[in-house]
Amino acid sequence: MQTIASPSIGLKDEQLSGILPDFTSDSYKDAYSRINAIVIEGEQEAHDNYISLGKLLPDQHEELSKLARMEMRHMKGFTACGKNLGVEADMKFAKEFFRPLHENFQTAFSEGKIPTCLLIQAILIEAFAISAYHIYIPVSDPFARKITEGVVKDEYLHLNYGQEWLKANYESSKQELFEANKANLPLVKSMLDQVADDASILHMDKEDLIEDFLIAYQEALTDIGFNTREMARMAAVALVG
Amino acid sequence: MFGLIGHSTSFQDARRKAHDLGFDHIAKGDLDVWCSAPPQLVEHVEVESAVGKTIRGAYIDSCFVPEMLGRFKTARRKVLNAMELAQKKGIDISALGGFTSIIFENFNLLNHQHVRSTMLDWTRFTTGNTHTAWVISRQLEINAPKVGIDLKQSRVAVVGATGDIGSAVCRWLVSRSGVKEISLVARQQEPLTQLRDELGGGEIHSLEEALPQADAVIWVASLPKTLEIDSTTLKKPCLMIDGGYPKNLGVKFAGREVHVLNGGIVEFFKDIGWNMMELAEMDKPQRQMFACFAEAMLLEFEDCYTNFSWGRNNITLEKMDFIGEASVRHGFSTLNLKESCQAAIA
Repeated sequence: MQTIASPSIGLKDEQLSGILPDFTSDSYKDAYSRINAIVIEGEQEAHDNYISLGKLLPDQHEELSKLARMEMRHMKGFTACGKNLGVEADMKFAKEFFRPLHENFQTAFSEGKIPTCLLIQAILIEAFAISAYHIYIPVSDPFARKITEGVVKDEYLHLNYGQEWLKANYESSKQELFEANKANLPLVKSMLDQVADDASILHMDKEDLIEDFLIAYQEALTDIGFNTREMARMAAVALVG
Repeated sequence: MFGLIGHSTSFQDARRKAHDLGFDHIAKGDLDVWCSAPPQLVEHVEVESAVGKTIRGAYIDSCFVPEMLGRFKTARRKVLNAMELAQKKGIDISALGGFTSIIFENFNLLNHQHVRSTMLDWTRFTTGNTHTAWVISRQLEINAPKVGIDLKQSRVAVVGATGDIGSAVCRWLVSRSGVKEISLVARQQEPLTQLRDELGGGEIHSLEEALPQADAVIWVASLPKTLEIDSTTLKKPCLMIDGGYPKNLGVKFAGREVHVLNGGIVEFFKDIGWNMMELAEMDKPQRQMFACFAEAMLLEFEDCYTNFSWGRNNITLEKMDFIGEASVRHGFSTLNLKESCQAAIA
């Protein structure tokens, strides 16, 4: 319904659009050294995880190897983004950043828990990456923008891959997925919290990151077969811990 | 499939609703949590019209609450994300309810058609303003005589006359209702002059000038909280139709011979069997709803898949006729003054 007197709203569009950051400033480069490292490490993790998944799903080995190679290409692309800005990625920070999720994946892998492995890699990490890339693109430098846009197109492919498997095996995976969600979603939340200050220097808002991540995550959960209430309950773990 | 994109009337209501629906994890969250909460498709519904046509629809809560109005980026994101969800769910025509259409227009969301990987298709959305304008006009025509007001001898003030709904109501009053005189009230002078020229009549008045002269007042502007009006200066009887959002006229004016009616509300001829209107402060939540929501249902009943109400000042009398006829045929009626009120007058 239309009304005229809403004094708190009525802003001009330019106030709503994010203004690009200064890519050459020291503060930008400092924040970028960690964000860029996270992205590089994320793609490396993805590569390694898809190779591992290929061992658990031998009949999917070829497909998963293809995905792994794609992730490696992404990693190289993002490495070039850092170099382009004259930034050295802080890989030590990134390794530590991914450690809890990495360990959970390794534990699930050693126990042969395919649904948990897929939830961590094909759903959580991918949803995290896609939402962050979407928010990054409008505020990125021209070089990184081109690379990231290409990556986003690819990322949608593997999100679907994980969903397809979990959808096909929904009933047998459901209980394990509830548990995996409980154990791993808070880790993603704390990863988002850790990166919030650096992201804001890149003009990426934490609020946007969380909501976009949850949209991607809920979309995947719905597609897999969870009903609205189950899905919202699972996603709420990220909001309120 | 039709869609209704709505939101709670306050943060407190939103938490209560979330709790009632079993989303108690989110219900416990503070406003920051809600600012990051994604839109939810909370309910599917099936509705059969008075002529026997059955349609399916869905209610999407954008997780916006009015307390977020000051956070413009949040408000913008809430609306765009809810619209994206509606489109992704394959909903053919969705109404933008409550603050949703206001945010859409005031924040120029037409410039934000691209949401992540989705290009929003505007033809899938309607503000619902045509139906709202028709309903408000009919509410005036039906209820004025009930409280002893003869529109042919009366002055009607339209507050918010230059808005999308306000200007449509003015067109209807001039061409169809046979109202004797109209006071046009709005904040900006230039559009007021243009409207008067278009109508070929009507007088431009300030609010203070308009109210004491008006037999009926149609409010399609939100009332500023600070606005103080001496109700003793109002004509008796006086009919006030509160077509703004949120509805807050009743507490300011209602009194002896000042009759306040919630505007832009319709009632379906039978229970719908949904939960979502419970907290929209409707007296009969199973049947009553905002006319803008009903517009999406009507467009679905009519297989009319287009952004029927869109942009500003595009509402024609022909469009109002079309949606009005559909409204009656499919079983909607306007919300009218209660019988007890009329008995008191008699």
